[in-house]
Amino acid sequence: MTAMEIDTEKNIQRKHSTYQSLDKTFDIQNEIYRGQQYSQIYFARLHTMRTLLYSLVTHWKPSCPCLLMTFISVILEVSGNLEVMVVFRVLDFNGIGCEVYVVDRGHLYMVLVNFISGAFFKFFFSPICNGLGFCTVLGLEEGKECIIVGTLFKHMQLKPCVLDEYSKERSAVPLVKPHNFMHPDDHLVLEDESGRVKLGGTVLSPSTYVTGGVVALHGKETTAGDFLVLDVFEAGLAPQIEPQLKSREDKYVVFISGVSVGSSTSNPLQFQLLVDHITGHLGDEQEQGIAAEIVHVVFAGNSVEIPLGLLNGQNLASKDQSRVSEAVQVLDILLSQIAAGVSVDIMPGSNDPANFALPQQPLNRCLFPGSRTFNTFNSCTNPHCFELDGVRFLGTSGQNIDDLKKYSEARDELEFMERTLKWRHLAPTAPNTLGCYPFTDRDPFLIESCPHVYFVGNQDKYGTRILEGSEGQMVRLISIPKFCNTGLAVVLNLRNLECHTLSFGAQPSTLKTFNDA
Amino acid sequence: MATASSNIKGFYKQKKKESGIRKPTSTKSDKSSLLHATTLGSDFTQPSALVSHGSPDLKDDYDKNEDVLRQFDMNSAYGPCLGMSRLARWERAQRLGLNPPKEIEGLLKGKEVRSECLWDGCI
Repeated sequence: MTAMEIDTEKNIQRKHSTYQSLDKTFDIQNEIYRGQQYSQIYFARLHTMRTLLYSLVTHWKPSCPCLLMTFISVILEVSGNLEVMVVFRVLDFNGIGCEVYVVDRGHLYMVLVNFISGAFFKFFFSPICNGLGFCTVLGLEEGKECIIVGTLFKHMQLKPCVLDEYSKERSAVPLVKPHNFMHPDDHLVLEDESGRVKLGGTVLSPSTYVTGGVVALHGKETTAGDFLVLDVFEAGLAPQIEPQLKSREDKYVVFISGVSVGSSTSNPLQFQLLVDHITGHLGDEQEQGIAAEIVHVVFAGNSVEIPLGLLNGQNLASKDQSRVSEAVQVLDILLSQIAAGVSVDIMPGSNDPANFALPQQPLNRCLFPGSRTFNTFNSCTNPHCFELDGVRFLGTSGQNIDDLKKYSEARDELEFMERTLKWRHLAPTAPNTLGCYPFTDRDPFLIESCPHVYFVGNQDKYGTRILEGSEGQMVRLISIPKFCNTGLAVVLNLRNLECHTLSFGAQPSTLKTFNDA
Repeated sequence: MATASSNIKGFYKQKKKESGIRKPTSTKSDKSSLLHATTLGSDFTQPSALVSHGSPDLKDDYDKNEDVLRQFDMNSAYGPCLGMSRLARWERAQRLGLNPPKEIEGLLKGKEVRSECLWDGCI
C-alpha cells in the first residue's frame, strides 16, 4: 500500500493540446461514381491552378514593360457573400497607377486602391493586351513571346504501357529498372483545353518534372512547332498562417510509419518498447517526464501487413482466417494501450486494409474494437491534414513521393517534398500513374494553405529540414523511415518545430517473430 | 459499361446517327439503309436532311434545345463533358466562375431534354 501512495504523490500529468482534424476534403463518402470521369479532375486542377498562376504572374515579371494591359476584370470576394465586379485599368505593374472602378449592379464607382489590399481576389485576363500576354496553346503564334499555362505531360518511353503486352516485337522493348522509368530521351509536353505543344529548350529539365503538374511558361513558338521555353514559373509555396510559436512550452508529436505488424521483418518487441515509452511505462521519472510531454502520436501508414499469400482470392481455411486477422488484433491491442493515454491518429498506407486509390479512406473502426472505445483514437484519411495548437500538419503515407521517385529524380526525398509544395499539389502524378478517385468537381490534393509541418511516411531513411518560402513561409519537412527496418520514430517539438529521432533496438536472434508460431 | 443506357431503342437511335456504322442484324428495310447512306459524312448537328425525310424513327428528341445543349457540351472551356450530367457540369462551371449561359440552366431544369451528354453510355 505504501508503494501506491508514493506513486500517486508524484503523479506526472500528460500535457494537453487542442486537436482539429481538417480531413473533410479527402472524404469520398458523398461522391457518386458515374463512369468515364477521369479527365474531370485534370480540368478542375488546371482551372484552379491557372486562375492562381494568372494572379501570381505579376510578381514573376513585374518590370517587364511589355506587361502593360489595358483592362483586367477582377471579381472581388469581400467578406461574406458580397461579390463585386471590379474593373481596373493598370498602367504599370508595380501597383502604382491603378485606377479602380467598381461595378455594382450596373453603377460604376471609383474606389481607392487600398480597398484591394486586404481582400482576397482571383482574376481573369481579357485578351486585350499589347506585348507579353497570355495565350492558349491553340492561339500560339510563331515567334511571338507569350505566357502559356497548362498541365505538363512527360512522354517517357520506358514507362510501362499495357499495350506493350500486345506488341509483336517483344525483343524491341528495352529492359527497365523496376524502380525508375527515366530515360534521357524523355520530353515534356504542355497541354490545356485547346491542345498540346511539345516543349523545347534547355530551361525545362524533364528529369525534374512529372505528368500532372501545372506551370506557367514564358517562351515562343518555333518554326518546328515546338514551344521554346525561356522561363518557367511555378506557383510556389501557398500562403501560410502565422503559427505563433514564441510563447510555448515543449510539447512533442511522435511520428511512426511502417510498423508492419504481422510481417516477417517486424520485431514485436521494438514496437512494444515504443508503446511503453510513449505511455510512460519505461524508465525513471525523468524518462516519464519526457514521455508526459508527448501530446500526439501519428501512425503514418503501413501499420499492419497481412501475409500476401493469403490474399490470392482463394477460400481461406479456418486457421488461415485467424492468421489474417491476427496482425490487426495485435495492432489493436497496442493502439489501445497508446490511446488510453494520448491522442493517436492512424493513417492507412499502401499495405493496409483500406482502399487502393488516393485519398485512402480511414481504416474501418470495426478493425479496432479495443481502441475505438477511446475518444483519443482517430482513424484518418491518407493524406491527412490536422491542426495541433494552431500548428498545421499535412502528410501522407508515402505513395505520392514513391511515385515521384519512379518518374523523376532528385537529391533526396525532401527535395521531392519541396517540389510538391512548390507545385501546390500533393500528388501531381495522380491519376496518371498513382491511383486516385476520379473527382469531378474538385482536386482535393491541391494545397491551399501551406502547412507548418509536412511529413511523408514509409521512406527508406530519416531526413528533415526547414523549407523557406518567398513570403516568409517556414515548413518543417520530415521524411519518416520505416519502423520495421530502422527502429526509428520521429519526434517533433511544437515549440520550435525541431525534430529528433527515437531509436528502439532489440536483439532479434533469440526472439521468435510473429509467424514462427 | 456501367452507364449503358437501359433504353435499347434510344441507344440504337444513337448508332444511326454515327455515320457509317451499320449493324448487320439491322431490322430496317433496305430503303432506310439507303437513307442512312445519304447521311454519311454529314454533320450531325444539322438535322434538316434527316427531318425532311419524315420517317418517324429518325425523328428523336434532337431539336433546337438539344443543339444549344450540344454546343454547351462541346465548349471545352467548361471541361470535358463525359462523366458528368449536363446540369452538374453547368453547376461546376458556375462555381468556378466561368459564367455559363443562364438559359442552359433553364433548359436543363425545366424542359424535357437529355440530362447527359451525347456520348454518355456510348464510350
